[in-house]
Amino acid sequence: MARKVAIVEDDFDQRENYADALQQSGYEVATYANRKEALEGMRKNMPDLAILDIMLENEMDGGFDLCRDLRALSPTLPIIFLTARDTDIDRVSGLRLDAWDYLTKPLNMQFLSVRINSLFRIVDSLGQTANDDKPDQVVVNELEIDEDSMSIRWKSQELSLTLTEFWLIESMARHPGHVKTYENMMQVTRQSYVERNTINGYIRRIRNKFKEIDPEFKHIQTVFGVGYKWNSGE
Amino acid sequence: MRAVFSIRTKLLLVALLLLLIPWMSYIYVRDMKTFLLSGQEDALSLTSRAVATVLHDRPELFLEDTQIDPASTEDNEIYALPLPNYININGDLSDWGEQAAQAAVYEPLPPGADASDANTEAPSRSEPAAGSPAPIPINEGDFKVRHVLGYHGRFIYAMFAVDDDEVVFRQQGFLRVDSADHIRLTLQDPGRSPQRYTMIAREPGRMSIYLMDEDWQYPVTGDPDYNLAAELSLSDTGYNVELRIPRFMLSSDTRIRLAVADVDDVDSLALEGLISTTPESDSDELSRVLVQSAEIAKILKGLDRSDTRIWVLDREKRVRAVVGNINTDVQYKQSVKPIFSSNSIREVWDFMVASVRYYYDIALRKIFTYIVDKPALSFADYERTVEQRNDEIIEQALAGDISTDRRASVDNQGTILMSAHPIYLGDSILGAVIVEQSTNQVLTRQQAVLENVISVTLLVLLTVAAALLLFASRLTVRITRLRDAADNAIDRDGRILSQRLSAEAKSGDEIGDLSRSVSGMLGRLSQYTSYLRGLPDTLAHEVSNPLNVVNSSLHNLEQENPGIVESKYMNRAKNGINRIGSILQNLTEAANLEQAMQSETREVFDLVELLENYVDGYSFSNPSQKFEVQIHKRPLKVEAAADYIAQALDKLVDNAIDFAAPNTAIVFKAQQIDSYAQIDVINRGSNLPEGMAERIFEPLVSVGRKDAQKTRLGMGLYIVKLITSFHGGDVLASNLRGTDGVIFSLYLPIYNPDAQSF
Repeated sequence: MARKVAIVEDDFDQRENYADALQQSGYEVATYANRKEALEGMRKNMPDLAILDIMLENEMDGGFDLCRDLRALSPTLPIIFLTARDTDIDRVSGLRLDAWDYLTKPLNMQFLSVRINSLFRIVDSLGQTANDDKPDQVVVNELEIDEDSMSIRWKSQELSLTLTEFWLIESMARHPGHVKTYENMMQVTRQSYVERNTINGYIRRIRNKFKEIDPEFKHIQTVFGVGYKWNSGE
Repeated sequence: MRAVFSIRTKLLLVALLLLLIPWMSYIYVRDMKTFLLSGQEDALSLTSRAVATVLHDRPELFLEDTQIDPASTEDNEIYALPLPNYININGDLSDWGEQAAQAAVYEPLPPGADASDANTEAPSRSEPAAGSPAPIPINEGDFKVRHVLGYHGRFIYAMFAVDDDEVVFRQQGFLRVDSADHIRLTLQDPGRSPQRYTMIAREPGRMSIYLMDEDWQYPVTGDPDYNLAAELSLSDTGYNVELRIPRFMLSSDTRIRLAVADVDDVDSLALEGLISTTPESDSDELSRVLVQSAEIAKILKGLDRSDTRIWVLDREKRVRAVVGNINTDVQYKQSVKPIFSSNSIREVWDFMVASVRYYYDIALRKIFTYIVDKPALSFADYERTVEQRNDEIIEQALAGDISTDRRASVDNQGTILMSAHPIYLGDSILGAVIVEQSTNQVLTRQQAVLENVISVTLLVLLTVAAALLLFASRLTVRITRLRDAADNAIDRDGRILSQRLSAEAKSGDEIGDLSRSVSGMLGRLSQYTSYLRGLPDTLAHEVSNPLNVVNSSLHNLEQENPGIVESKYMNRAKNGINRIGSILQNLTEAANLEQAMQSETREVFDLVELLENYVDGYSFSNPSQKFEVQIHKRPLKVEAAADYIAQALDKLVDNAIDFAAPNTAIVFKAQQIDSYAQIDVINRGSNLPEGMAERIFEPLVSVGRKDAQKTRLGMGLYIVKLITSFHGGDVLASNLRGTDGVIFSLYLPIYNPDAQSF
């Protein structure tokens, strides 16, 4: 049975393009132009994943409001923000609302499919908890990365990460001591246009999340002018 | 700066125009003087005509031997007899001629006797009033005086033939001069204190004449007076005295008193008798001497004024009569230096006011001496004893002309106005009247007016200047305050710090308007700048949606037509989209950065270490680019967000590489300047265009591009500026000296743990 993806986007061209691309990839797509339509439609027919634009018609924060409403309907629904608004504040508020990811336009359609795929993999792996066989397990220092469930644990404690954050940590931890340049990391985020600032922002948030568990955390090291690396030494 | 004249100076210069007022007054007063003088001349001319009219057709007035009619003399007037010849002062009475026979006899008066009885009419009075106290004992019968007063030419003569049983001469070594027989003469001009003279002799012959004190006892000075002359000679019955008084000592108003004092006892030397030969009046008033043509003098008496002198001359230009005085003295009001007296507030205040006035007057006097010619305080002119006048004007008058003239006073110190009028007898000319007045009056008045005007204008000038100075200072202060506020409203980089000026905002005048309009301007400017600052972000946001449409459409097109993937046009379209994407990224980067930095935590780190790591890292990813690092000081501890410093370095290095000449190294230099760490990023290559060093850090300003494919929005250096400003530092660009190239200097404050206010 095809997964159901809901797209809420007030721009007809973009909405239809997303829909076409996702249908091509084999998803069942429902499209909505505004918050009211979307909320009503999804109440009747709850999707497996929702892609929300933040600005909806004349509602500046329509996407955020919709996200809140959807969270009330389904706490586990994967939600991706896809928006032209690329500020830290928007990013933070989006993620605070338990969105799974925050993507900025213009977005490469292939990346979108990949993300959606990954998210469904996570959903799937969350469903089958009783699988002890973990072939895709990466362990560096006290870091455990579960490729299947896309979850990361530091000192046995689960970190709450977005998809992009997971990919960034994974890319560094796979090759400890090797510098991940900004260019590498931009690829890893699987978004079309990412600036160094954005990468710096991701790393800052990632470090903060580690430090919530372990204030002494120092394994992600800045290589000025180049990028970052996982420093496995003490 | 071209601040040549401040507002203050300008206003003061304008205030100097007020000096035109005293100048104008000066001109006016000078004209007024001319006018006043001509008025004075007219008046004089009228006076001379009037006098002449009275004297017309009265030839008897001009007869040489005209006598004073004794009957017409009034009380207190004595007349001098015209003498036929000059008197030889030798004590010999023979040259008095028949006049000696007319001598009146005077006997001692009882003190307290009715003065009106003591007239020239009844000189022989010997009975003292009964019961009256007699301070001076009187030897009756053996003391009497025969006396004549006469004149000739420039002199008045007095003859005394004294009957005295004991002639007492002045004793040797006796200072008092009332202790011998002597003659007393008192002269008094109206308004002056009387002059007392005593004539006394040690032996017959020339008498000594002294100016005396009030008690007739001691001379004021020991020096004898030589204007007067007297001679004593013994006679059978006593002694004779001849006295000569020059006429210049007597004006027409001079009062005179003559008396003979008698001393008989050689031992006691007490004053025993005193005979006054001039009438005594009730009021102790002395008598007037009438000389010359008494008739004319009487006629002229009514015209006698203190400031006008009227001469009557006969055809031979001999003076027949003179009345009046030329006012030769000018009284200036003198300012009195105030003396501090009391402590009461009111008096202290009065004292201060008076002091200010006093010093102001003194200062003004000093100034006046330079601008106004003062009339001479006093000057000398013809004495009244002049017998003949030879002025040209008299010739003219005697020739029948009526004329006025000005002449210098005899000593050249003053100017005298004259007017002459002929006196007619029928058709022939009998004589002339000359009326004279000094110009001092007019000059004094002119000066007073001028002084007044000048002192008032000076006061006004000072007040106005002070007020203007105050006003200008206040204006300057206000404008300066407004300027400072306006200066501070926008920082060096053109960012608006405050949209409202508080300085002068509440003032109702033009400066207040200016302040408010600057505030309004700042408000609009700040709206505009915030619009400009938001513009890249808004633009990026608006463009990203259609770009997304194109992007997703291209993707879907590929899916629909797999063959198209290989199309070069598809590739170029994708390249174009990528470029637009990177433009959008550039545009939003600055705005995002500003927000991101707010939430960034700073840490203390060594800038040199960061620089070295950075260069290592950069060399690693760009092995072809050569770098050179010069460390002059380490460590350079700064408190900053290292990521952003690295980002700023990124932008500077990007920029340096863009403009570096091929195969040249980018040079980094680290040093400490005062309390700032300085990182220089230097590249060889072309210089910055003129004026670009300032503007290059503004958003959307770029110098040019080498690579048409590479996006240059001019946001990079703006971001460097944002980052350094955020950390309390700065970034400057300048051209290299000596060789072509550009140096970017990044300054960050050195970390100072003491200055932290945790």
